[in-house]
Amino acid sequence: MRLNIIIGGKAGQGINKVSNIVSNVLGKYGYFTFNYRDYQSLVRGGHNFNALSISDSPTESNDTTIDILAALDDRSVKNHKQSLKKDGMIMTAEKFENEGRNINIAIAGAVLKILGIPLIELENEIKSQFKKYEEALVSAKKGFDSQKEKFSLKKLNNKIAILSGSEAIVVGARNSEIDLYIAYPMTPATNAMHAIANKQVENNLMVFQAENEIAAASMAIGSSFAGAKTMTATSGGGFDLMGETLSLQGISGIPLTVYLASRPGPGTGVPTYTAQADLDIALRAGHGEFPRIVIAPGNPIETIEKTSEALFLAEKFKTLSIILSDKHLSESEFSSTEKPNKTPKFKITRTLPGKDIVKNSSYEVDKYGNSTEDPVLTEKNADKRTEKYNEIKKFVEKNFEMTKIHGKKNSKNLVIGWGSTSGAIKDAIKNLDAKFLQVLYCKPLSPQIKKEIKKANKVILVECNITGQLGRLIREKTGIKIENRLLKYNGRPFQSDELKTLIKNKL
Amino acid sequence: MKPNLTTKSEVTWCPGCPNNMILAAVRQSISKLVESGKNKHEDFAMTTDIGCHAKIFDYLNISGIYCLHGRAIPTGIGITLGNPNLKVLTFAGDGAAYAEGMAHFIHAFKYNADMTLVLHDNQSFSLTTGQPTPTSQQGYISKSEPLGVFDKPMNPIKLALAANATFIARTNARDIPHMTSTLTKAINHKGFSFVEIIQDCLIFNKDANGKDELMYKIKDNSDKKKAEKIAEEFDYNSKSGKIPLGIIYQSKEKSLAEKWPQLKKLTDKKTNWQNK
Repeated sequence: MRLNIIIGGKAGQGINKVSNIVSNVLGKYGYFTFNYRDYQSLVRGGHNFNALSISDSPTESNDTTIDILAALDDRSVKNHKQSLKKDGMIMTAEKFENEGRNINIAIAGAVLKILGIPLIELENEIKSQFKKYEEALVSAKKGFDSQKEKFSLKKLNNKIAILSGSEAIVVGARNSEIDLYIAYPMTPATNAMHAIANKQVENNLMVFQAENEIAAASMAIGSSFAGAKTMTATSGGGFDLMGETLSLQGISGIPLTVYLASRPGPGTGVPTYTAQADLDIALRAGHGEFPRIVIAPGNPIETIEKTSEALFLAEKFKTLSIILSDKHLSESEFSSTEKPNKTPKFKITRTLPGKDIVKNSSYEVDKYGNSTEDPVLTEKNADKRTEKYNEIKKFVEKNFEMTKIHGKKNSKNLVIGWGSTSGAIKDAIKNLDAKFLQVLYCKPLSPQIKKEIKKANKVILVECNITGQLGRLIREKTGIKIENRLLKYNGRPFQSDELKTLIKNKL
Repeated sequence: MKPNLTTKSEVTWCPGCPNNMILAAVRQSISKLVESGKNKHEDFAMTTDIGCHAKIFDYLNISGIYCLHGRAIPTGIGITLGNPNLKVLTFAGDGAAYAEGMAHFIHAFKYNADMTLVLHDNQSFSLTTGQPTPTSQQGYISKSEPLGVFDKPMNPIKLALAANATFIARTNARDIPHMTSTLTKAINHKGFSFVEIIQDCLIFNKDANGKDELMYKIKDNSDKKKAEKIAEEFDYNSKSGKIPLGIIYQSKEKSLAEKWPQLKKLTDKKTNWQNK
């Protein structure tokens, strides 16, 4: 069972509230939901929509065709009616004009009635969301009563939790008992900043907004040196500015964790949309040669786990950890019954300033931590950095999940992908003779990847970028070129039915 | 006990470079603070920029980070965020702080982190062979600007005042006692203290040298209007005016660690984040 709803309107009309109420009610009713937020770079007006998919089994993507179009304005009807299924229905806000600012709540009520959810579930949700709920309750009920039940969803027993990728970054960071989060606002990294800044005092941590990304990264290095568990976060443009600090991390050995939530570039690109086009910079930004870790979770549960792993590894190996996400993962709302793995907890045990004299430098150093230009030491230090990477690789291979296999485990048809695209791939290969190898660690890269490719008869690469960045990385590390590539780069994520057809055509 | 502030590194400043005198004054100031029991040797942490001034990192035996060019200030602020009980000294040059790092310089006064910026101003990028900095005088001819500097120099003291600085001082690299007492006052200031050291470069932009006879000492000042007048006296461009030395302005404002409850908790308990 799978239903797809589009909720469209102008920025400021509150479409997020509609999907939020509907998802919460459905979650408590045992249904999996996936909510994709498509919005423009403007504050009021324009055309925004949420694509909300509903299923009785786990889903992390949308379909191209829709069952219900809930339109808060005419443009939403115009833009989306061609996607309606034959028996799909349009519901406009005309009936609810008297509800004023609560039109969106009426729409939520209407959608839930169409789905066949009992009124009491809606009422409970409204009561839990609003302190003064009377007015909202009236609007919700008006919406609910305006419709006829069309889909009779029966209550399921799944224990569902709803989380966005941004919220998951915060859960992971807090599981690792983070002290400082230092950043400069940039979509789509900012939502995590907002989420962690909220209740920072109660949560015994501090969120500092620096004057730019260079300052944010430099402050992160300084605070980490002083003994705080620190993270910084940005999107591609800000990450470019942080490049020099990544390099400083490489030579100084001061632990640094960076959350990189990417969006389509180059330049300002399409700032509120999605792309997986920054794997290259995550892997290579910063001058000189030095070790690093790049981890790309595919959903919020993995994001919780991998954020903690990134912080743990940065401290253990005094290295650079990058958590690579994108707009689709960070801002979509996922539902899950899974629980994240146990957090790899850690304490900072290195010698800290205040206790002894500690020197870290952007120069090559001698045994006292002071500058050197000696050729023997220069070479030795470079060797040490390489050795450190080998240790990281060994440790990660032994302790953390670097790849995942989904779908038919013994299939000879192998789909390879990573990050937020994983959701659409998992949904697309259902009922196909295919297995999906999800790459979680992009650096180090798992030796399992080569083995899986060797075992397969057909290999298909799926990514949201134009050059197949993971494919190029795999070729660099294994010598294997993946010829079959499905690449999407219009700023929008793959939809599962669209991808299913594309994969089928390749099989 | 007198702390050992020397290192085994060979000093590579030019013979006679006033940086040697700045180093001596910094060591004396830290020694006095440690010997008096006010601060512990291990509690000092420095950040240094890149340039001739920054070599002090290798010669001064305290904790610290030898930073990237332009970033000594934000990295220093980061140290105070990571442990607000550390005494942070940030060393930067006129090129580092005013060209590459100007955004950080201005914002530092706004945050008012409890730390000291020691600004070595020789009106030249000397380590890279004498290109002009934002405080170089008009007409200065160098390899990168052979037509001479067209622009009037910045006045960082005026900028600092406009940015609500809570401590601004100027001192002379040839006057070790004055530098020592000024640095000690700066370190003791609660908030962001900015100490400009007027320094000659013996190799590059020599036309800017020899300003000692223009210098005179002022009384510690905490009047903003008066400070604005003092700031106008030296324009970094001509040698017609006087160069006032001393505390140009000091005021009492909440420091970064006093403003943020999370940091205040750490300073109240004299602890770091690990024991939060």
